[in-house]
Order: sequence, then structure tokens, then C-alpha cells
Amino acid sequence: MASVLKRRGRIQVRLDERERNALLDIMARLQTHISRALATTPRAYDDETKQAEFDRWVRPEIERGYEADLDVLRDSLSAGEELLVLTEAQVYAWLRGFNQLRLAAASLLGITEDGWETEASDELRAQPEFGMLMALGLLQEDLLAALES
Amino acid sequence: MTTATPVPVEAPVREERTVREPGWNVIVWNDPVTLMSYVVLVLRKLFGYDHVTATTLMLQVHEEGKAIVATQPREQAEVSVARLHAFGLQATLARL
Repeated sequence: MASVLKRRGRIQVRLDERERNALLDIMARLQTHISRALATTPRAYDDETKQAEFDRWVRPEIERGYEADLDVLRDSLSAGEELLVLTEAQVYAWLRGFNQLRLAAASLLGITEDGWETEASDELRAQPEFGMLMALGLLQEDLLAALES
Repeated sequence: MTTATPVPVEAPVREERTVREPGWNVIVWNDPVTLMSYVVLVLRKLFGYDHVTATTLMLQVHEEGKAIVATQPREQAEVSVARLHAFGLQATLARL
């Protein structure tokens, strides 16, 4: 079972082969939906001109960052190691990557309101993306807890 | 050959005005998916808030739908919003 610890200031994530492959599978299934999920991010500005400048000059860099974070996550999981010792930069890339994937899963599930964890219908809970959303959330919580410890 | 008598000239009165750009609010909006603990971490990392302040702001986002997390000059506020977007948070900026 996955575990996350902080030792000597470094975050150590232990994932067996099945868990690593499951995460890579989740990434493969959700990645194509990320851009749609993140497109729902509110505009930075109300003003059309300023927003156009933001889209032209700032947004591409943000999107490159999304891809880079997922690359870091994928590279870590593909390394074939059960014990992954992450740098601080890698931990933040993982956290941002998990968040992107969770947003994509929620978008596919049509989640738009708070309270979905407790009020979800049986039909929603039966969707594979619901399990992905919960599993990624648990791992993200573990990483956050280890980082704060 | 004549020499003009120097006439003292008064130094012009200089009015210096500091043009202050109005501040811009950086606003974080609630979304139903992002973990509360993640929002706290992001606010601490990006704005240097202590845990209590970051948690208070996160709860305001969660309960009221949004919170002003910083007020900064436009350029800086835009960078803050971009960094919040990079973390996947919903953020906008608005003039004070």
C-alpha cells in the first residue's frame, strides 16, 4: 500500500509496481481531458484587452508548466523504483499534477458543487473516474501531510 | 566690453508628485474539487502567509465563494494570478 514519509527533509514515496502502473493508467486516461477541465478556469481579467494580452503572453507559459508537471510525475512513476525520493521541486510538481488530474476527473463526472463526496449517487460512485478522484485525493493528502510534518 | 550683472535667478519650484498606481486585488475562487489543505499550502508558498492566515483565507474561499488573498500593483498581481493558475487554483485580479 502506498506510503509517504518525510525523512531527513526529503519526501519519500513508496509505491509498488501495481500502484505505479495504476497511476500511470489514470494519467493516460485523464490527460486528454485536462485542457478542457482547466479551460473552465475563470478569466484573469474582466477587461477584454487585458485578458487577450494575458492569453497571449502569460497563458502559454502556464500551460507549458502543466505539461512539465505531468512529465515529472510520469518520469518518476516510470523509473521502475518502488521507493521514490523526491526533491522539493518534484513534490510540488506531483501536487500540481494530481490537482490537474483530479480536476479532469471531476469535469468528466460533472461535479460542479461542494458536498459531492458525501452526496454522490451510487451511479456516480460506480464511475471509474470517481475512484480515480478519491485515490488521487488520498495520495495528495499524504503528500501534503508529509510536506507539513 | 560690458559685462552683465548677474541676476540671481530663483530656482523653479518643483512639484514632485508620486503617481501611485491603484492596487489590484488577487481573488481566489472556490472550486468543489481542490483540497482545502492544498489551497492552504499554495497560499503559504506563494504569499508567505503563516498557517493560521492561510487557513483563514482558505475557509473564506470555501464558505463565501471567494477571498481577496493579496492586493498588489498590477504587474505583481498578474504574476500572482498566473502562479495560482499554475497550481490549478481559480484566480482573477480586479482593480481596487
